Amino acid sequence: MMMTQILAMALQISLAVFIALIALCVWRVWRGENVIDRLIGADLIGTLILGALVLVALILRNSIYLDVGLVMAALGFISTVALAKYIVDQQMY
Amino acid sequence: MVSLRWLLLISVLYLALTADFSVGNLLVGVLLSFGLAWLVHPSKERVSWQSFPRRAWYFARYILLLVSDIILSGVGVARVVLTPSLPINPGIIAIPTHCKSDFAQALSAHALTVTPGEMVVAIGEDGTMYTHCLDATHGQEVILEAQRLRRELLEKIVE
Amino acid sequence: MEQMIDLVTQIIALAAVIIGTLFAIVGVLGYFRLPDVYTRLHATGKVGVFGVVLLLLAAVDLSLLGFGKGLVLIVLLMIFGPVASHAISAAAYRIGIPMKSAIRDDLAQASDR
Repeated sequence: MMMTQILAMALQISLAVFIALIALCVWRVWRGENVIDRLIGADLIGTLILGALVLVALILRNSIYLDVGLVMAALGFISTVALAKYIVDQQMY
Repeated sequence: MVSLRWLLLISVLYLALTADFSVGNLLVGVLLSFGLAWLVHPSKERVSWQSFPRRAWYFARYILLLVSDIILSGVGVARVVLTPSLPINPGIIAIPTHCKSDFAQALSAHALTVTPGEMVVAIGEDGTMYTHCLDATHGQEVILEAQRLRRELLEKIVE
Repeated sequence: MEQMIDLVTQIIALAAVIIGTLFAIVGVLGYFRLPDVYTRLHATGKVGVFGVVLLLLAAVDLSLLGFGKGLVLIVLLMIFGPVASHAISAAAYRIGIPMKSAIRDDLAQASDR
């Protein structure tokens, strides 16, 4: 019984930590050194949002958020690779 | 006809995502993945099913080796980041590969990149992997030693 | 007995969540502290490979959530994370972002020829 409460509290704290990390990364993307640095930040924000979605799924006990995370991961990967190619070639294709 | 490998892969993916093992769902999944495999990869390559258990065994050993490598080097990188003086000696090291097939080389570069602390920046025309290392003082020997174990398993998986 | 199994499951999930959050913090800290683009990629790759995968292991372990979905997401992260970081580092090298405090660079010698 007590273990359940501890686990719920740990999940809440972990979610708060992830949201704080996302805020830090958004600040860093805004004040980036160069374009690649900002791209790394954008990729990192995508990964952190994925982690936050997994935590929301764990807190609300609803696996629909994992589907959202699946789509999010795939789109984030494709957009990162496309942006990296665009930065080098100055064109998409 | 479609390649059996793709058919199996897509059906397993469909079943894992729907998490419903009734006969109707199984049928729908196999039909869907049959169409998809036909669209994606309409080849006639023969898969030798005799060597399948042996290759699955080597694949499991490869995954275990990779996971232990990832955990060890991840803890190492975490220690480097948390040290106040940041003891890093970064550098790009050329690492030769001796893989025969392209697929084995791709898996080899993936294994190098997935372990924190090493990252493949570019691959030369002769198959040399230019790897960015967080700690480049040791030179090639340490990485080549770790790479040799993985490559032996990979060669047996891909053949 | 059933309570025992429940307790062990919850303890494993708790440990996975705590370690995963710590690794995410370490990754973002590395993104802020490390000097240049290439070394930062080592730290940020660790958020995907360790942080989120450990959270997903907790989700799979509690097992009331989609077992298959979690495993598919873990495999996806393990395959696509390194590919994304390789794409970013190759782009950085090709537009000529310098390395800070590098002790050797074999690729520069190779492309000088």
